[in-house]
Amino acid sequence: MLLTLDRIGPGRYALYVIGVVTAIFLLLPIVFIALLSFGSSQWLQFPPPSWTLRWYRELFVDPRWVAAFWTSARIATTVMVLSIALGLPVSFALVRGRFWGRNLLHAFFVSPLIIPVVILGIGLYAIFLDIELNGTFPGLVAGHLILALPFSVVCISNALQGFDEGIEQAAVICGASPIAAVWRVTLPSIRAGVLSAALFSFLVSWDEVVLSIFLSGPIWQPISVKIWTSLQLNLNPVIAAVSTILILVTTLAMGGAYLLRRRIAR
Amino acid sequence: MIEAPPPAYLRLDRLTKRFGPIVAVDDVSLTVRRGEFMTLLGPSGSGKTTTLSIIAGFEAPTSGDVLLDEQSIRQVPPHRRNIGMVFQRYTLFPHMTVFHNVAFPLTVRRRPRSDIAAAVQRALALVQLGDLGDRKPNQLSGGQQQRVALARALVYEPEILVMDEPLGALDKKLREEVQVEIRRIHRQLGVTLLYVTHDQDEALRMSDRIAVFDHGRVVQVGTGEELYDTPATRFVGGFIGSSNFITATVVGAEGALVMVRLPDGSITAVKQRGEAAAGAEVSLMVRPEKWQLSLHIPDGNACTCSVTVSEASFLGDTLVYEVVAGWGQKLLVRDMLGPGRGERFSTGTRAVLSWRPGEVRLFD
Repeated sequence: MLLTLDRIGPGRYALYVIGVVTAIFLLLPIVFIALLSFGSSQWLQFPPPSWTLRWYRELFVDPRWVAAFWTSARIATTVMVLSIALGLPVSFALVRGRFWGRNLLHAFFVSPLIIPVVILGIGLYAIFLDIELNGTFPGLVAGHLILALPFSVVCISNALQGFDEGIEQAAVICGASPIAAVWRVTLPSIRAGVLSAALFSFLVSWDEVVLSIFLSGPIWQPISVKIWTSLQLNLNPVIAAVSTILILVTTLAMGGAYLLRRRIAR
Repeated sequence: MIEAPPPAYLRLDRLTKRFGPIVAVDDVSLTVRRGEFMTLLGPSGSGKTTTLSIIAGFEAPTSGDVLLDEQSIRQVPPHRRNIGMVFQRYTLFPHMTVFHNVAFPLTVRRRPRSDIAAAVQRALALVQLGDLGDRKPNQLSGGQQQRVALARALVYEPEILVMDEPLGALDKKLREEVQVEIRRIHRQLGVTLLYVTHDQDEALRMSDRIAVFDHGRVVQVGTGEELYDTPATRFVGGFIGSSNFITATVVGAEGALVMVRLPDGSITAVKQRGEAAAGAEVSLMVRPEKWQLSLHIPDGNACTCSVTVSEASFLGDTLVYEVVAGWGQKLLVRDMLGPGRGERFSTGTRAVLSWRPGEVRLFD
């Protein structure tokens, strides 16, 4: 028999405690920040003396914050689209292709995951200096894309690996051209994987700080960099409000993806 | 019902397929008549599935040609070949309902919507799944999935239907059910059908003719009866039905009879056309039901051999004996238990095996 909760006996209470403590540990900073953003104290006093929406108002009337928010949203959306557009053909080649060096190529596409982002940032900064991409929208998108593509390739390759090529062949023998078969049968069949790829790509870009610090400029400044630079000047509850909104966007994205995946599974 | 498609006449002309050093299909020539149920039978790796892939267009032959009504279809891509195919694995489109799966071939052919609905209903009715159109594939049993796949392969009235071990994943009872279904549909539509299987029972039960594959070659083509009664090679004899093989040495020929010496030294006659050089080592093949077991040497039978019964199994309609010949080989004897056949033999009985020269075959 497997180890089950029932067989552990009283030991299970220890497990409950560990589980709850871990959850609190993970959630506490987020809850803390969210509470502080509604607190009236200028100095982030906890517990807050009273509650207010003042920091959110300040945030929404400050065009620099709003601009940073839209910059991040535009970059993340563009990265997401490009990451899927590139991830799909790369995954097809890696899963279906029969060529020398396929495993090597696979490792190459996943390598940005293990290269320290700082190093990537320095390298990109040096290159972009030459071709004048620093501080531009394409520069930021290209940088984020390097970090997002591995997630896209892993998600889509896994989905494709689990898809029986025979189903695509069946579509072809039914009269669909190879492209139509991929479009109408293969892609819909692996859409859960594509959805995960899109979600991860979006969030990787949305969260990205280190690379963005290297690549952003006065015009194109993502919200994560804006938070970072504001923090260096002063700590005030507006940053808590921004953080809360960032977390909200992330949570909404993940929740939306979860609901979509559930619909796909049915 | 679905209109009978224009019957096709399919010819494989010296088809060869190499994968590197491996010859998967070796100089295969085969003619399939219009409306025929032709089975490609052989063990796994004998080249039958590769042959089917070449016909479907998924593999290009290394050399040779596939001709439909004497027109080469080598250059025609698979999606333009208008061939229906049912695969061994379940290949329904998982994200579509049964209805949309069956409608798919018509949708990609841009048929009018009203025609599609009617054709899909007819095809589903043909495989007796008319009321399951709204289900998703994962809500169907394996047998139902393969029937939907069959409906999908027939809905566009292909000239040729190819099936690659379509029942391989089903259990025995379900398999026999769908076998009957496929036979009925073949008779009803008159479609030319190529069926791949490694199951000789399935091949015998379903086919008009069978092409036996071995090591990438077609070793014999014929009806089930022809293959069973007059196998061309030892392989065919062993693959179709059960057989006893006895190693013997040719002693000489007397007219239409070849005299061979059995391992115990006794001489026996075999009716065999063709030459047999004296001294050559040959294989003597006898079907288990083609010889009789008796206590004494019967009159009129030229060939006998004394044996000891080592096992007797009662199987309802037959009695199967395992007997040991003088030279230690175990042989199988099947007594079909017709009316008036009385004699039973218990384990340990010394008995005589007898057969007629015409019921034995010789192979090199």
